[in-house]
Amino acid sequence: MELKFTRSLLGALALSTALIAASPSLAAGKLTVSLSQDPGSWDPVDTFLVAWATVATNIFDGLTYRGPDLKLVPGLAESWQVSEDGKKITFKLRQNVKFHDGEPFNADAVKFTFDRLLGDEGSKGPQKSNYAAIEKVEVVDPSTVDFILKSPDPVLLTKLAGYGAMIVPPNYIKEKGEDYFNTHPVGTGAFKFISYEPKIGVKLEANPDYWGGAPKISELDYKFITEPATAVAELQAGRVDIVVPPIIPISMVPTIKGDSRLELMSVPGPTVDALRFNTRDGITADVRVRKAIIMAVDRKTIVDAILAGQASEIVSFQSSLSLGYDPDLKGLPFDPEGAKKLLAEAGVKPGAPLQIDIRGNDATMNEVAQAVSSYLQAVGLNPTIKPYELNVLLNDIIPQGKTGALFQQKWGGWTFDYDNTAYSMYHSGEKWNPYEKDAELDKLLESQRPMTDAAEREKVLKQIAAYVNDKALELPLYNSNAIYGVNKRVKNFTPAPDNRIKLNEVTVD
Amino acid sequence: MIGFLTKRILQAIFTVLVVTLVVAFAIRLTGDPALISAQGGGTVTEADLQRIRVALGVDRPFYVQYFGFLKGLLTLDFGRSFVGGTPVSQLIGTALPATLTLAFASLFVSIVLSIPLGVKAATTRGKWPDQAIRIFSLIGLSFPNFWLATMLVLLFAIALQWLPPSGYDGFSSYIMPAVTMGLILTATNVRLVRTTMLDTLRSQYVMVARAKGLSETKVLYKHALRNCAIVLLTFLGVQFGGLLGGIVVVERVFNWPGMGTLAFDAVAARDYPVLQSVITVLSALIIGVNLLIDLAYGLIDPRIRTQ
Amino acid sequence: MANATTSGRLNRFKAMEFVVGILLFGTICLAVLFAPLLFPDGGTKIDLAARLTAPFQSFAHVLGTDPLGRDVLARVVTGGKVSLVVGFASVVGSIFVGVAMGLVAGYYRGAWDALLMRFVDVQLALPFILLAITFFAILGGSLINTIVLLIVSQCVQYARLVRGSVLSLREREFILSARAIGVADRNIILRHLLPNLLGPVIVLATLNFANNILLESSLTFLGLGVDPTIPSWGGMLADARTYLQTAWWVSVFPGLAILLTVLGLNLLGDWLRDSLDPTGRTSR
Repeated sequence: MELKFTRSLLGALALSTALIAASPSLAAGKLTVSLSQDPGSWDPVDTFLVAWATVATNIFDGLTYRGPDLKLVPGLAESWQVSEDGKKITFKLRQNVKFHDGEPFNADAVKFTFDRLLGDEGSKGPQKSNYAAIEKVEVVDPSTVDFILKSPDPVLLTKLAGYGAMIVPPNYIKEKGEDYFNTHPVGTGAFKFISYEPKIGVKLEANPDYWGGAPKISELDYKFITEPATAVAELQAGRVDIVVPPIIPISMVPTIKGDSRLELMSVPGPTVDALRFNTRDGITADVRVRKAIIMAVDRKTIVDAILAGQASEIVSFQSSLSLGYDPDLKGLPFDPEGAKKLLAEAGVKPGAPLQIDIRGNDATMNEVAQAVSSYLQAVGLNPTIKPYELNVLLNDIIPQGKTGALFQQKWGGWTFDYDNTAYSMYHSGEKWNPYEKDAELDKLLESQRPMTDAAEREKVLKQIAAYVNDKALELPLYNSNAIYGVNKRVKNFTPAPDNRIKLNEVTVD
Repeated sequence: MIGFLTKRILQAIFTVLVVTLVVAFAIRLTGDPALISAQGGGTVTEADLQRIRVALGVDRPFYVQYFGFLKGLLTLDFGRSFVGGTPVSQLIGTALPATLTLAFASLFVSIVLSIPLGVKAATTRGKWPDQAIRIFSLIGLSFPNFWLATMLVLLFAIALQWLPPSGYDGFSSYIMPAVTMGLILTATNVRLVRTTMLDTLRSQYVMVARAKGLSETKVLYKHALRNCAIVLLTFLGVQFGGLLGGIVVVERVFNWPGMGTLAFDAVAARDYPVLQSVITVLSALIIGVNLLIDLAYGLIDPRIRTQ
Repeated sequence: MANATTSGRLNRFKAMEFVVGILLFGTICLAVLFAPLLFPDGGTKIDLAARLTAPFQSFAHVLGTDPLGRDVLARVVTGGKVSLVVGFASVVGSIFVGVAMGLVAGYYRGAWDALLMRFVDVQLALPFILLAITFFAILGGSLINTIVLLIVSQCVQYARLVRGSVLSLREREFILSARAIGVADRNIILRHLLPNLLGPVIVLATLNFANNILLESSLTFLGLGVDPTIPSWGGMLADARTYLQTAWWVSVFPGLAILLTVLGLNLLGDWLRDSLDPTGRTSR
């Protein structure tokens, strides 16, 4: 209704000037996607950005592939076998696959890719550490490779579906050089790279010889748009067909829903938010105070009102899609009276100060933190919010243990495995765990890493979640949805929780 | 004359050097770029960070990095971006034209608006058109540029859909950002044109021209305007820095891939080479424009030299 | 005579300028000053049930509510404090630093003068916003940092103005005679130079006050200024960006507040310039 008001007001203002609205038309078969960031580099070993993966999943393939349903399926490898001790994986490769430059994909290309990632070139980038479990790759025959591991890595097969493990063309890189490859990527994927303009966009075209079948659209344009309001305006103007998360803010959900030409697609994503406690100093060193704080906050109302239902409450620091998620784990209830009692029991005086550290650029958390603070005020605490610049918070305040009583933890582990977050959040001495030293928790975290039996691991991961919940190490908040804004002319599009949208099956009107 | 020239040029070079030193030093206080570049990995060790630092070259002492940067400047080699390794010269090669064309488009808008309005104000001095123009220019001066930009987007891009809401592609994408900046510049320029016109209209040669029986329009546009152009041009030097600063803000609203966008992204990523190059190039431009105007003045009016 | 009516009209116009300027700026200053009495909660009270209430619907929320259900009127009035404090403090700071610099450079000339002029060059060559993003990346945003940054970047304007005037004043009869009879430098500067500089400095200060309010709001809008949890006009506009299409009041009212405050100051500055500037270049 408010929307209509604005529209008619502005419409009236402009009535005097009659001009035909330039109806933006897009070339048939061309799809335009808005990305929130310019990855800067297209080399798989150089990046860690989700925006990179959104584009790269259309240019490159990995040995394994994980689609929007998050199931691991064959990619460039047709099948694989893991040895008994988990330290050797044998891949049978897909045949007759060619890179965009025409050179054949084979076992040598796989070996080249991983030698490069784990060697000098990989050392310059951030990806190498994700694949540290791999000792070497051995060529058995042109269509078979063995991965020899230093130690078993339960999430390695998932990691082979993304980022640093994308297979790159050996001859092309050797001939054209690393720098050229960086800005002119070549892979085996559904789309070929045409051009890249820094800060503006990147253009791809269909690869008719794609091993998975030729794409249904001919051109694929990505535009870099950093401002949320601008991205949505471009979508409304018909100049962008798909807005990829995480840019659409909750506040603009009604705008998109109110536009008959647009569709809002929202799926639970990997990103979770929590406020971690300083369990070493101050009043939050007392577990009763921590529990009281958790009970004081009405998380359901926060999720319903501020997040407009585009998120779900969490009990442990993981998404419902992650391995280790336990639907039966119960958190503490919303109970302000109980919270007051616990605070009194712990000897906390009314008006006790409390600082909440958050990321300054996180608009949603900004609102949530203010709501949390008003709930804490209601039980007699006196909270203040301190927003930090992202890099300062992540690199200085948290690792150095200089936070307030509560500080924001936000994580979007793309492997959808609780270990990915839990280990670095709760194990002693880890960067994200400046305060807690708990031998029992350490033992649990260490014990699941070598396990190759997924069910067995999941059991331990659930134990970890229950243990953390019991010790009230954090105020769990929510798991945000990945929100896509899509023009209705786009057909057959499936939103992916991890932003890796492969667009070979999509058509446009 | 030669002495004056050399002195001004040496001063300009000195200023550029101080700017680069201040900037290079300051941005190295903003944080460790290796940490940013390693953020994605969940299990980054100190050894990983050190490895990235060596690759980026930030493990070297400050003076080595600074002299490396200066040496590069001489050959227009600004190094490589820490994010993705693109040569900075290539990034600036696309961003600088985007910013400069927008700056010229804004100046154009402001000149096209301020000359007729300023002339009108001067010729109707004290009457209602003069006062209306004065009020409008004061209102124009009082607008926050980012708010004006947002309101224009809401009206022309979303409600009416006449203009693209953002981007840098073709004529139509220039209209809103150039009008935003142009309107705000017009506010100051109208006053300048008005004052200059009033001065000129009283001057001897205009009186002579009138006495010769030239039509009023001819007097205005032939003689008086020439003076206005000179005043506006001089003022351009003063405005140029402010204009570039304003464009940085407006670029954000319109997703304009110019120097401001480059600088903002570079700060967030602690991308030293990009940030120090962007600031150096813009500062050098401002200094250069002012130097040129000074020199031109020095040629025209020898009295300036002694000041 | 035609000229007489023209100047009569101009004078009436000038008077209007002053009255409107004082009314706008004065009302806003008073409202901000008495904000703690008018709105004791400072617009921080959250009411998620009443989020995004439209304006002019109820007496409780005359200008509507924001996404957290906070009263927009209370926030606009309370938020003015940041703008006014930053604007005022940065101007006062710049005057102190800039006038001192200008006096020393203009009166003693020599090395001080050369140093100042090079500082002026460097300052003019650095685009303000780029200086700001670097500065805030190091020190973080806060009220004090915003004020310091504005002082650093603006004191040179006063220094230049004062230096120029002092250069011409020091050759004038009354200064020369004061020096000849051995009046101490300190006294010459304080008794003879300063009073003569007051007019132009006040004009510049008023216009800078207006400009600094705009700069502060741009900085906060860009996420570089004051702490976003303190209500401020720039901050409110930044938060409101994504609500533009669904809740126009959240961005229109703080924007208007900035516009009217700055307009009031600009009107006053314009009037002052004409009244205090004895050469009266613009007052004809």
